[in-house]
Amino acid sequence: MTRRVLPFVVRLTHRVTGGVFRPRVEDEVAEEFDFHLEMLERRLREGGMEPEAAHTEALSIFGNKEQLRSDCEHEGRRRDWEVDMRERWIESVRDIRYALRQMTRAPVFAAVAVGTLALGIGANSAVFSVVNGVLLEPLPYNEPGELVTITSAFPGLGFDRFWISPPEFFELKAWSHSFTDVGGYRTGTASVESTDQPLRVPSAVASASFFRTLGVEAATGRIYTDDEDLPGADPVVVLSDGLWRRAFGADPELVGKSIRVNGQPQTIVGILPAGFDIEDAKIDIWRPLNIDPNDHQNRRGNHFLNLVARLGPGVSLDQARTETDQLLDRWVEEYPDTHTLSRDFHALTVRDFRTDVLGEARTQVLLLLGAVGFVLLIACANVANLLLARSEARTKEVAVRVAMGAGQGRLTRQFLTEGLTLALTGGGAGLVLGYFAVQALLATNPDGIPRSSSVGMDGSVMLFTLALSVGTGLLFGLAPLLNTSPKKLGMSLREGGTRSTSSGAGARMRRSLVVAEVALAVVLLTGSGLMVRSLTALNAVDPGFDPENLLTFNISTPSNTYPDPTDVGDFYDRLLTELRAIPGVQDVSAMNGLPPLRSVDANDTEFEGLERTQDGPAFNTDYWQFVDLGYLETMDIRVLEGRDFNLTDLAPDMATILVNRRLAQVFYPDGGPMGRRIRPPGSDTWFTVVGIVDDVKQSGLKAPTGTEIYFLSRQAESLGFAIRTRNIVIRTQRDPLAIVSMVRRTVWTQDSSLPLSNVQTMDQNIASSVARSRFLTMLLGVFAGVALVLAAVGTYGVISYSVALRSREIGIRIAMGAGAGSVVGLVVRNGAVLAVAGALIGTLGAFGVTRLLASQLYEVSTTDPRTFIIAPLFLIAVALLASFIPAYRGTRVDPVTVLKQE
Amino acid sequence: MAHHRTKLLHGTLDALILKTLHQGPRHGYAIARWLGEVTKDAIQVEEGSLYPALYRLERKGLLQAEWGRSELDRRAKFYTLTKKGRANLEKEVEDWARFAEAVSRVLMGEG
Repeated sequence: MTRRVLPFVVRLTHRVTGGVFRPRVEDEVAEEFDFHLEMLERRLREGGMEPEAAHTEALSIFGNKEQLRSDCEHEGRRRDWEVDMRERWIESVRDIRYALRQMTRAPVFAAVAVGTLALGIGANSAVFSVVNGVLLEPLPYNEPGELVTITSAFPGLGFDRFWISPPEFFELKAWSHSFTDVGGYRTGTASVESTDQPLRVPSAVASASFFRTLGVEAATGRIYTDDEDLPGADPVVVLSDGLWRRAFGADPELVGKSIRVNGQPQTIVGILPAGFDIEDAKIDIWRPLNIDPNDHQNRRGNHFLNLVARLGPGVSLDQARTETDQLLDRWVEEYPDTHTLSRDFHALTVRDFRTDVLGEARTQVLLLLGAVGFVLLIACANVANLLLARSEARTKEVAVRVAMGAGQGRLTRQFLTEGLTLALTGGGAGLVLGYFAVQALLATNPDGIPRSSSVGMDGSVMLFTLALSVGTGLLFGLAPLLNTSPKKLGMSLREGGTRSTSSGAGARMRRSLVVAEVALAVVLLTGSGLMVRSLTALNAVDPGFDPENLLTFNISTPSNTYPDPTDVGDFYDRLLTELRAIPGVQDVSAMNGLPPLRSVDANDTEFEGLERTQDGPAFNTDYWQFVDLGYLETMDIRVLEGRDFNLTDLAPDMATILVNRRLAQVFYPDGGPMGRRIRPPGSDTWFTVVGIVDDVKQSGLKAPTGTEIYFLSRQAESLGFAIRTRNIVIRTQRDPLAIVSMVRRTVWTQDSSLPLSNVQTMDQNIASSVARSRFLTMLLGVFAGVALVLAAVGTYGVISYSVALRSREIGIRIAMGAGAGSVVGLVVRNGAVLAVAGALIGTLGAFGVTRLLASQLYEVSTTDPRTFIIAPLFLIAVALLASFIPAYRGTRVDPVTVLKQE
Repeated sequence: MAHHRTKLLHGTLDALILKTLHQGPRHGYAIARWLGEVTKDAIQVEEGSLYPALYRLERKGLLQAEWGRSELDRRAKFYTLTKKGRANLEKEVEDWARFAEAVSRVLMGEG
């Protein structure tokens, strides 16, 4: 009997204490061996052996004691470890089951906690999936880390990011040693016939070396060769996987066939692998540059190429920069007389490809990640508060556990398990929420996110969510431990049946958490307030024309059906006339560059009678806008001086232009440009300025206006060049989209083979030019809203809890005749203290944090006083409301009932 | 060859221990005595080498150990066969029978 009792007690203490009283393995083995040896000796002595001999004999029978001891100790330690693990596992399973039972027992608490966490974690996994897709996923090129972009800059003209001309490209390629290869490309659009209808698709011209640089090979067929890239070679084209499937039904025999691109027959030599693209442009057709490296010296100022280069083995970005800087001097030496690359006037910039492609998006996405992190912190604070309040209700249970021998470690594990169970449940729900949030984001903001095709829920997002859940679980899971100090627990047992009062540590903690929540929410609200102010300012920018009730679309006339420039002009004249006849149409005209965000031309320009000075502007204009008659009227652009184009300008030999106000200021600061003459470099014809018009935003609403020259398209024809691609602009009396089908029909009665692209209202053009800003503002707004709600819920929770704890005191006050008002005031004051403290800290924090927004803000200071006053006041008001509700409810209690409860 | 013998011996020792405990709980010394009696000391085993085997069997859950009082009222560690150990013993007996039969057939049969 005794034999069984002791082990039972030992095992029991084992279980409760986690093995503190277990004998050491060394002692266990030693005692067992000693017993064996003693018994052996005794037996040998009983058999008549001398004690000394018996001792020696016993040792010899037993064997190598030291070796055996070490073997046994090893096995014994392993045994104990396995037992511990098993017990710990059993405990954890029990804890999880217990935690789940706690959740089902308090469903409201569980729902609020899990819901809060799902919101916090879901928002984080949604933003992280964007971060992951945009910043972390490797670019889909071979060894993308070696890739760089090369752009030029005109510091004097204020262009820090400009294209490169073909001669500059070929010379850089030939002279530099830092790069294994350099490729040039330019994106645009092209008309292409497919199996059923004409299509207008994004296209690019690219040197053969472009594909080599990126390390891409055709999935079917091949990429065009360097020889095919020369002028006069047979026209060839490479298609995207997408176009091959969409327009040609994934025809396996397509390679080698001929298709018409912009009306010209071209041979398809290859199809690119799925997903190959540049700059997110969704390019469907790739054609050779068709420029002879040795024969374009006169086009030095013709900047239109984007360059991508691959760093040679072991060459760093800095080394490449140093080399291109040195090459600039060579350009000055070799071409001293022409417009050329140089250090101070026309420099080269080498940038890491990834950083360059992502540009501002990187900052924006990281800002969002920071903001959403704040939301999660607030969510954690709320859940920690909930758990704290609950743990106070559970002090008795905990005290009993401690009395039964559970140590601090054991309790910690139990609370952590409860926290983790909550967090993982919330994380699971958050993942689902995040998935739908991302889908909604992508659907509503296709232009707001770069590389959006690689954004989605994948393994790393899951892993991130899991890590986040575990992290948050650990964070708030520890909060209830504040209530388990031994002294407090002892008190709680002595108190017997009465409700424990709020502990000092617990209450302080709860109040600090609310202050922190309010502070974080103020920071978010301030940040999003600044963004809203900036977006409002952006939307209030005068684009220089009236965007309302304007419909625009783009068409292009192929040279095979319209060989001569005059054919093109006649076609557009007929089309504009027909379009004017559509009911509801007020005015119609056309231009080649579509505001408010068109690419800059930066064409060299000669100004008659002006001397180039060292400090003066370079003879270069930002935009050449080719327009049809009635353009200013249709767009509602003001004429400041002189006149608009009119029918007299169509007379033969007329060469007239309009310039914008900016051009007049830059090049003719002393006297008006009216009557002065300007011409394209090398042209025989001088164009006379007949009017000055107001500035129009061409490079985005944020950017300052550039210099602009308006040419009349029909005059350009008589000089021999055709404006084949034009944006038609239609001023309507009512909703512009209502006439779209009429417009299509009208175009197709003129020429049924012409595809219309980018059919949209001018308002939509303007909206998409600020898509990124709007996206960031919207998301920050959502996060600030969630933060606001969570902070309000947190304040509400803490105040109503304190009201519940003080119900006796409140009951007495009311019984003694205190008015409801004074009681409400007492409670609300409590909340106000927290809210004001939080708002103050938050405002200070916002001062530090909003600086990060600087690059995203337009005409709003990062310390905009209005935002910095309204945001905290708003939060204080919300917090006061959140404390008023429980306060008011507190006064509705019947004092008799409350007092009887004790 | 020697390696093979040791292995065989180890496995055999485990089986013998399990068999010894078949009748009821025993401490290590009693196991040694019982083995000696039953085999009439034919198997020469260093008695101490029982212990690593005992610890291993305990870790594997084939045996359970409890401290109790010996016949002479000394503290001693008693080993009991667990359910798992009992099942293991049955399997060892079967395996041994099959092994012995196979070896006998070869050694005793007419070549």
